[in-house]
Amino acid sequence: MGPAAAALAVAGRGVGSCAGAIRRINGCDNAMRRGAGSIRPPRTLPILAVAAGGVIGSTGRVLAAEVGPHPASGWPVTTLAVNLIGAFLLGAYLARRQRAVTGPWSLQMWAIGALGSFTTFSGFSLEVVQLLEAGRSGIAAWYVAASMIGGLAAAIAGDAAGSRRL
Amino acid sequence: MIQVVAILAGAVGAVARYTAGGWVQRRTGPRFPSGTAAVNLAGALCLGVAAGALDPGSGAHALAAGFLGGFTTFSTWMVETLALGRRSSERLLALANLTLLLALGVAVAAAGYRVAS
Repeated sequence: MGPAAAALAVAGRGVGSCAGAIRRINGCDNAMRRGAGSIRPPRTLPILAVAAGGVIGSTGRVLAAEVGPHPASGWPVTTLAVNLIGAFLLGAYLARRQRAVTGPWSLQMWAIGALGSFTTFSGFSLEVVQLLEAGRSGIAAWYVAASMIGGLAAAIAGDAAGSRRL
Repeated sequence: MIQVVAILAGAVGAVARYTAGGWVQRRTGPRFPSGTAAVNLAGALCLGVAAGALDPGSGAHALAAGFLGGFTTFSTWMVETLALGRRSSERLLALANLTLLLALGVAVAAAGYRVAS
């Protein structure tokens, strides 16, 4: 665990607060600042950072779909690989961010924009449906298990890798 | 060309996720990662509809799949589940976030696919 566990802590620490990973991922911090009646933060820059990161992450996902294998067994190996790599990198990024100075919109660009759009929940869900429709419920079950267990393990491994001293 | 459309749609999807997810999260409080859950379920439903209604080789399908690929996220779902699970008092919420979103995501994608095809 170590300090990175605190880095990923989600639950808020007071009524109306918006602490931890949720604040960082969903941009609650902007809302908090507005709610406090202070000067409105610039809205354009974080959105541009998310869009720029979105181009990077989407390029990776679309390219992977182009060049990745499509085995005849129907195993969605490309989506699985993309999702596990993305979960690892997001865990590593958030842990590293606790220990290193990052640019002002780095979180919006890399965590929310790039790694958020590189991975996909809708593609995963649809592939499970298509496997079930095709009568391949065994592969569907293994795909779900590999994604859930692998995704959590990848996020834990990324957190550990990002928490190590360089 | 169709790949460029999918990539740019994905960037627009990322911005939509950031604004819509943040909007939901601010209205539901910090205890549960509701913003990510909401965009993921909405995106899974829409991708089911798109897969049922659109020709897989068409530009409209590339646009929809690209947008929804960027709109929904697996990595944030995993990291938020892990962060919840590391607080012993939130273990049940973490389990609910994992299993409910999984079951509901497959259910709404299937419903969208069946209705549209």
